[in-house]
Amino acid sequence: MKDEWDVIVVGGGHAGIEAALAAIRLGCSVVLISAKIHRIGEMSCNPAIGGIAKGTIVREIDALDGSMARSADATTLHFRMLNRRKGPAVWGPRVQSDAAEYARAQQVYIGSNGIEIIEDEVTGLDGATEKVTGVRCRNNGSIKGKTVVLAAGTFLRGRLFRGDELWKGGRIGDISADSLEKNLVERMFHVERFKTGTPARIVRSTVNVDELEVQQSEETYFTFSFGEYQPNDKQEVCYITYTDENTMNIAKDYLHLSPLMAGRIEGTGPRYCPSYEDKVVKFPDRQRQKIYVEPMGYGSRNFYLNGLSTSLPREAQRKMVRSLPGFGRAEISDYGYAVEYSYFHFSEIDDTLRLRKTENVFVAGQICGTSGYEEAAGMGLIAGANAGRIAKSLEPLKLSRMNSYIGVMIDDIVSKGADEPYRMFSSRAENRLHLRQDNADRRLFNSGDRFGILSEEKRELLTGNLKEAEIVWNVLESETVDGIRLSKWCRRPGITVEDITYQAHTLVDRDEKVLLSVLLDEKYSGYIERNLRRHESSKNMEKISLRGISSYMEIDEICWEAREVLEREKPETLARAERIPGIRPTDLHGLLIHLGRQRSTWNNSKEE
Amino acid sequence: MNSISPEIICAVATPEGMSALSVIRVSGKGSFELLENIMSLEKNRLKGMRRKVGRIFEEGNTIDEVVAVSWPEGKSFTGEEMVEIICHGIPESIRTIMDILIRHGARRAEPGEFARRALGNGRLNAVQIIALAALWDKENCRKAFTRETEERCRKLLNVIESTRETVEGIIEFGDTHLDGNEKNIRSVLKELIERAKDFKIEAASIEKSSRVMIMGPTNSGKSTLFNVLTGKNGALVSDEPGTTRDGSTCFLEVSGRRIQLCDTAGTDGSGLDRTASEAVIDSLDGTERVIWMSVGGKKPPADEVRKKAGEVIEIAAKSDLINGKGIEKLLNVSSVSGEGLEELKKMLSRVPGSMSLSGAAERIEESVKRSYNFMLSNEYDLAAELLSEAEIEARRIIGKGENIQLSVERALAGMCVGK
Repeated sequence: MKDEWDVIVVGGGHAGIEAALAAIRLGCSVVLISAKIHRIGEMSCNPAIGGIAKGTIVREIDALDGSMARSADATTLHFRMLNRRKGPAVWGPRVQSDAAEYARAQQVYIGSNGIEIIEDEVTGLDGATEKVTGVRCRNNGSIKGKTVVLAAGTFLRGRLFRGDELWKGGRIGDISADSLEKNLVERMFHVERFKTGTPARIVRSTVNVDELEVQQSEETYFTFSFGEYQPNDKQEVCYITYTDENTMNIAKDYLHLSPLMAGRIEGTGPRYCPSYEDKVVKFPDRQRQKIYVEPMGYGSRNFYLNGLSTSLPREAQRKMVRSLPGFGRAEISDYGYAVEYSYFHFSEIDDTLRLRKTENVFVAGQICGTSGYEEAAGMGLIAGANAGRIAKSLEPLKLSRMNSYIGVMIDDIVSKGADEPYRMFSSRAENRLHLRQDNADRRLFNSGDRFGILSEEKRELLTGNLKEAEIVWNVLESETVDGIRLSKWCRRPGITVEDITYQAHTLVDRDEKVLLSVLLDEKYSGYIERNLRRHESSKNMEKISLRGISSYMEIDEICWEAREVLEREKPETLARAERIPGIRPTDLHGLLIHLGRQRSTWNNSKEE
Repeated sequence: MNSISPEIICAVATPEGMSALSVIRVSGKGSFELLENIMSLEKNRLKGMRRKVGRIFEEGNTIDEVVAVSWPEGKSFTGEEMVEIICHGIPESIRTIMDILIRHGARRAEPGEFARRALGNGRLNAVQIIALAALWDKENCRKAFTRETEERCRKLLNVIESTRETVEGIIEFGDTHLDGNEKNIRSVLKELIERAKDFKIEAASIEKSSRVMIMGPTNSGKSTLFNVLTGKNGALVSDEPGTTRDGSTCFLEVSGRRIQLCDTAGTDGSGLDRTASEAVIDSLDGTERVIWMSVGGKKPPADEVRKKAGEVIEIAAKSDLINGKGIEKLLNVSSVSGEGLEELKKMLSRVPGSMSLSGAAERIEESVKRSYNFMLSNEYDLAAELLSEAEIEARRIIGKGENIQLSVERALAGMCVGK
């Protein structure tokens, strides 16, 4: 074993894996410490990857050469493009994965890339908080590292609940990192509590699937990865069933035994992935709710019940499950439960995912307050890349809100935090028309390349994609229809790829996916341009300081009402002033003019 | 990678209304090509600094004969490729030309956008900025509209917001956890279009109903004041189309504010004038201001006038004749010596309504309509984008800031979802 590692990654979940792999691609020496190494890459909750916005994150991860996309592709059992009829900017690829095979695929990546793996429990950071020297482990003692990535998921003082049952653990069958949490709290880190949960798993052979609606996989060839399509020859169908009045009444009968309702869980849960008992309380009139029945793997003996997350007692769970059509005789193999855990308050985290109190500790995933595999993996990749770059004394990597969901997510988390586990939504991105699943490779190539996190193989592949897009774009720019350039012509409503290849025959042989992607770029370009400009101007306003103004009451350029409001609020920057209710654009112009007049040499507005 | 050209913006640069000529400004990369297209000119005819006479067609019909003046990048007011279309000042054809421009890829400029682009491209120097400041300054000090209009805009904004939230809900959860919203959204949007239309009409009427009636007893100097305001000091803008120009109604601009000034027959409220004065009072619809003038301010306005007018500005006329002996708290005005005219004009310029309001209202309606059309073709992504643009515009009107980071939490809180 090495005396000192460049990067120590604590945790082998979706965040930890991407962190370790990103650091390795940067040429760092990396050790990954996991409490149970055979559970590395496990899907602790549902056996699916992707969704609206989430699926786009997976493609962004692939554009930055992460492993999630490839492992999901290799183990896909069922695919659907969500929102297919709602506009290409909000398409959300989603797959059912073979959970066990997925974990195995991830373990292969970790194992074959020179990452050292240690099975142990991390009990604390080592050295001064300002600059740690590594981590302390229960069995292996001190492990030295230049930088540390904490990706402990729900393990920080994890507590599991089901009815009146309560036990320690980050998830069922695992330990709780109580010592590590204690160490972090002692180091004066501000942590808070969140909760999440998981539904029961059902023994497949006890379900009468003939009574269920079948949901077939779409046949379109799709891969999250921007490489060649290699279909997984195994396929599964999903099923749909519904809750009814009975299900709801059973939940109501046992509600007083719910750890949530009884007040034994204090952490806030995710509103968008609520427990069934939450839904019963909040939506009492929705007796019929859709429940997706998803196989845990190919020919797996278990079903996952998407939509029925619960921490009610076993008896209640059994009754609820059996109230579903097709589940009259169903047996539960694993009961649902809730988990409460600690996470870092957003004020502790900077925009490179470094803990502000330290020079060299990074965080990713649920311990930052997010929820979801994809969110965790996206953050893990950035945290790992930055840990690696700091270990090598290089400038850290930041993604912008304008070019990626990962950028939106990190900006949201570190600038305003979340009062419940943060799930990605497409509507969180103001530049959504640009942040599509089809162009993630082109959006992020420059970042990935410049910051050295692309393997040579990936780099070549992506360069090829970019070239292909450029060829297409050049044709669109040079050819015309009725005297109008194709690139403009294709912005007309309803123009399809077929229309374009009909007009420009040279495009017939080009990659159809790339063709569509470039077409969409053109189609949305006006809006995207506007969003970028809006973003720029708000960024510029952020730069203009108002601290030099001692009294607003004397500023003739703005109206009286505004003077009073500004005098009271004393905003620090023009951007802050803009957000104050009652301040109009003209007042902002007025302030600009005032500042301009104050300056003796106003220099052709270079300082705008 | 592809360099997306910045958007082309367009706006009518001259005041609304009938005039001999009007100017439409078009700015942004691609302006030349756009104009060459709609004027059916040969390629590159506008390249450089050119002046080109031509026609603008629509479906084979000539809309107008115009002069296009082009400035290349770096040489224009905005610093961008820019074209000024000098066309005839017929409101109908101006509107059609704007529609054609928009259909060919331009969009309506936001208020001050030309100046902002100029500023951004380093095309304005210190003096020019100060000059613009004077303009903006004025814009500030006016109350752009009344509290009721603001309230109505706020309500419109609420509807835009909740509509957008519903659309976002359909996008985020529609496939997996259908909430029945999809069926309703079209009618919701249709209703929103109606509201936006109402608001547009109201905004336009605020600008149009900025009518000021000069009233008072016979021989108090109403027509003299009317002539002074419209002839000597006020810039005559246009006739109201459809009304005969009988010398008693005139559009003019006072301190940058467009108002309609009306001279009236004497209203003593008694004797022979009774019928005429009743007719005038009847014509008040509560939105106008009345300049009530009497010699020395000695005759106060009739109660009916006070009741029916939006606001009454009482002035003491012929101050030159009565040696400033008018009633003290009233404004002394003399059309002959000019006393009090500046103050009066200042008061007039506070008439509610501003050109930018109806422009914004138009943009809101346009965005909402386009959003509906995108919805019809199942392009929810664009439908939501257009709604957010409408939202930005409405927020701008009521000064709520442009920052519209949608509160997803709020938007989606009502959704019943699984994972």
